[in-house]
Amino acid sequence: MTVTPVAPHDPTPVVYARARTSGMRWGTLFHRDESLGYILLAPGFIILALLMAYPFVYAVFLSFTSKRIGGPATFVGWENYTKLASTDLFWKTIWNSMYYTLVALVFKFVGGLGVAVMLNRPFVGQRLAKALLLLPWIIPTVFSTLIWWWLFDPAFSVINEVLVVKWKLLSKPIPFLTDGNTAMASLIMVNVWRGVPFFGISFLAAMQAVPDELLEAARVDGATPWRTFWSITFPLIVPVVGVVALISTIGTLGDFDLPFLLTRGGPNDATTMFAVTAYTLSLSSGLIGLGAAVSMTMFPLLAILVVVSLLQVRQRQGVS
Amino acid sequence: MAESTAIQLKRRQGLVAVALRRLRGEVPFYLLLLFVSFLLLFPFYWGFITSLKFEKEIFDFTGNLLWVKNPSLANYQTLFKTPRFFIWLRNTMLVSTVTTVLSVIVSIMAGYSIARLKFRGVTAASVIVFVTYLAPKGLLFVPLAQILNDWNLLGGLPALMITYPTFLIPFCTWLLSGYFSNVPVEPEECAMIDGASRIGAIIRVTLPMAWPGILTAAIFSFTLSWNELLYSLAFVRGEENRLLTNGVMSAFARSDIYFWGPLMAASTLASVPVALLYFLFMDRFVGGITAGATKG
Repeated sequence: MTVTPVAPHDPTPVVYARARTSGMRWGTLFHRDESLGYILLAPGFIILALLMAYPFVYAVFLSFTSKRIGGPATFVGWENYTKLASTDLFWKTIWNSMYYTLVALVFKFVGGLGVAVMLNRPFVGQRLAKALLLLPWIIPTVFSTLIWWWLFDPAFSVINEVLVVKWKLLSKPIPFLTDGNTAMASLIMVNVWRGVPFFGISFLAAMQAVPDELLEAARVDGATPWRTFWSITFPLIVPVVGVVALISTIGTLGDFDLPFLLTRGGPNDATTMFAVTAYTLSLSSGLIGLGAAVSMTMFPLLAILVVVSLLQVRQRQGVS
Repeated sequence: MAESTAIQLKRRQGLVAVALRRLRGEVPFYLLLLFVSFLLLFPFYWGFITSLKFEKEIFDFTGNLLWVKNPSLANYQTLFKTPRFFIWLRNTMLVSTVTTVLSVIVSIMAGYSIARLKFRGVTAASVIVFVTYLAPKGLLFVPLAQILNDWNLLGGLPALMITYPTFLIPFCTWLLSGYFSNVPVEPEECAMIDGASRIGAIIRVTLPMAWPGILTAAIFSFTLSWNELLYSLAFVRGEENRLLTNGVMSAFARSDIYFWGPLMAASTLASVPVALLYFLFMDRFVGGITAGATKG
């Protein structure tokens, strides 16, 4: 497609020629912002309405019924919620989800900042290093988790082999997935391993957008690199850092793949989280109403996080 | 003459010394880089070399752990000879392609609309896209299974083809609206002055200029579909309808017996194409994430 240049002296302001082939009404409909805007949005929003808004309302409804797989949906009021509140499983689910999300977030944040600072300097092989370090984040979770599963094998873990037999640092192997506490630590470790590259590369992009003059000025004034980082670079990347952290938090809170693949929520519900508990209750045990109620208890927390991220993003857009 | 070469030589030695000193200053940095890379990349290496070992060597930790004594492709053969392996591969390709094409087209329309058109409710639309982007899959799969059941879609691949776009469309729309707002408006206006219709101008002028963004969205959608686990476990029934992810697991991770060789071969095979795609398009890709993560 070539665009014929408009003669520079052409005095006519932007007057759009109407489409020749179509009738006048269709031409206008597909031409004016007020109509074209809605037309272009329609397909996407119809899909989102049918498969996100409707399921959400349906989930709220189901959570107030005693629905089982194949059975009728009888309204039972708050019964599912009161029943849940009286079980250990439910409180474990909430505690585990929060613990997993928060601890992993701290490590991803610190690790990501470290990786970004490390890479934020010219060096031979920077491009390759960036590409390779991003691998844990881009490789499909299911398959990278399979590898971790093998690394955590109760009898043949290479990590235990090295720590116990080769280097003799430990007297007995670590029960990665078979003991409650270590299972949670192992899950957090894999989540951090996957998340650090994403945090690092996002932080790095934000750091590289910091104007050189500011850093130069600080250096001329005799600021140490440490001081420069915390007084200039960090405040400037906070908006990006905040959005990345929030998005990651929301994703981690609703995480299914990792806890399901590595532990199925076990041992003894020590690593069960919202999505896994909802899955086992509704699809494995057939208690749809109860499972929907578990998902719904995650909602208030999610809503708060979503609103905060929204405000942060909009504030940024307003500024820039 | 001799004196000047001596000076040159001395100067050169000086330069070499400076370079060496600088290089020595870099040593701790490269050591740190090496250490971090090892932490992040070792699992892939371990998975890869496990995939090349015979059953006996997989459980044998004597000798050099970082090397394979008798490399073989036997595990890959086992994988390919799995009944239905190619059916699962076809299912995965089919679902990923259909959902990617559908989602990218729909998202181009919505993303363009949000980025470039002025109409009442455009702000609300962008907020909705962002909120749906953040909604985790764990929130909605229970009612979705029920709805699919009501619509008689539960169990087959169409169940995935219509549900995957629910997480792909918000993401792609968000990413693409970021791109479209950075594509200049003037060429499109020029084309319209020349008599093109608005839709024609968008398709022939603006879309070609936005192709890096569209490509990023497509790659991302494809890998997200390829990678999906929860919906494919929850919405699909029967051996014939499995995808690679749950198919491979059901074949080689039965109750307490895990066939690590073929499982690691599958992980390696599934990871290589994704990794290659990202290496080829990495710059655009990183730009895309940050545009998405920071602009909205």
